[in-house]
Amino acid sequence: MKTGSILAAAMALPGMLPSAHAQVTVPNATLIQFKYLYYRDYQDSGNRITVKSPALYLLAPISESWVFEIGAVYDNITGASPYYHTVLSGASGEGVEDKRAAGDITVTKYFGRTAISARAAYSTEDDYKSVAGGLTLRHATPSQNTTFTLGAGYSSDKISPADGPVFTRTKTTVDGIVGITQVLSKNDTAQVNLYYAQQRGYLTDPYKALFGVDQRPDKRDQMAALIRWNHYFEGLKASLRTSYRFYHDDWEINAHTGTIEWAQELPYGFTLTPSVRYTSQSAAFFYYDPVYDAALGPPFPPGYLNNPNGFYTSDQRLSAFGGITPGIKVAKSFVGGWSIDAKAEYYEQRADWRVGGEGSPGLQDFKAQLYQVGVSKKF
Amino acid sequence: MKQFASVFTCAGALALSVALVGCSTVQPWQKGNLAKSEMSFDHDPLQTRFEEHTYFSKEGASGGMSVGGGGCGCN
Repeated sequence: MKTGSILAAAMALPGMLPSAHAQVTVPNATLIQFKYLYYRDYQDSGNRITVKSPALYLLAPISESWVFEIGAVYDNITGASPYYHTVLSGASGEGVEDKRAAGDITVTKYFGRTAISARAAYSTEDDYKSVAGGLTLRHATPSQNTTFTLGAGYSSDKISPADGPVFTRTKTTVDGIVGITQVLSKNDTAQVNLYYAQQRGYLTDPYKALFGVDQRPDKRDQMAALIRWNHYFEGLKASLRTSYRFYHDDWEINAHTGTIEWAQELPYGFTLTPSVRYTSQSAAFFYYDPVYDAALGPPFPPGYLNNPNGFYTSDQRLSAFGGITPGIKVAKSFVGGWSIDAKAEYYEQRADWRVGGEGSPGLQDFKAQLYQVGVSKKF
Repeated sequence: MKQFASVFTCAGALALSVALVGCSTVQPWQKGNLAKSEMSFDHDPLQTRFEEHTYFSKEGASGGMSVGGGGCGCN
């Protein structure tokens, strides 16, 4: 009897079959994960935001058909965000200090090859509260080689800026997703997701509105198409993970985002993963360049007096730019289900890195560093 | 709306072609490599969350992985 057929026979015993991640099967282990993120961003003119975030995640199968997931994160945010274009609010004494606590719970019930997940999430800051929920249905074909995903979500957010006149505004988001995950070969799995979201309500940045000119439409329709493809190189013992997302919204932002990750298995339980992400976006139709009204001066865009109720933003996030994130991650797994990992990434946005068109002129390059350390245990 | 429709049509055609290519049947005992944690689309849940959250607060585009994520006042 060949080794292969012995393996096949052994695998055919109940509980011995490997479970590919494209499948709809009850997870067979509890996972607890802790991570700490250190994030800082800066421009040539100085440091901006620093965020320190401890986070916890637990996935627990509590019976043969029920699974619980819990996530919690605490963000400690300090620094200065720009109030218009790249002019620092911190430079005029308007520093930012905020804490954010967020938690979510997901309950999944399995009915054979079908799983229904219900999720609830809550996030609170001094000036922002969000309550969200969602339902996701997953169904696998008998071969477990194809999985269909269907989901719908809702979010209700309340914004009450801490500076300036006291007011409270609300915003709601309804979103939906359809997807297919497909096992293509014993070394290939792919996924296609289509995502749609409708945002309604107060979508303006309150601080940029207080200290600059920021008036946005009260509706935003967004769509994204995400394709992911993972391939395993048997000879090299490495996983190649790739993704591409096309994004479009009715603020006329089109964005292309791609990622490549190479997870190389090494001796003694080490895995080394270099990665790179690239994104390119066009500007929102109401973004204005840092050229100001001759009579009013900054931050007022040219012609503001003739149309003071029009749509305007000087938010760098809604400008046209390209962004690159190279990263490197090292992980080590130990016997008994423990593993530790550390990841470092560098992120930079530049106007002239945009593909297929000009970037927005007159903005300072935006740079960030992300460091993550984590520990996890499976049992 | 026209642009939305054409994008969805293209993505739908792509999804269908992925599904058709996938008709080659992979047997359960051939899924050892696919079962590896690194081959999962969500191999590190907290890492995904951190990075999605960061890009959500620094770029104009977001979404595509899940629903009901909720917002934040991240600047």
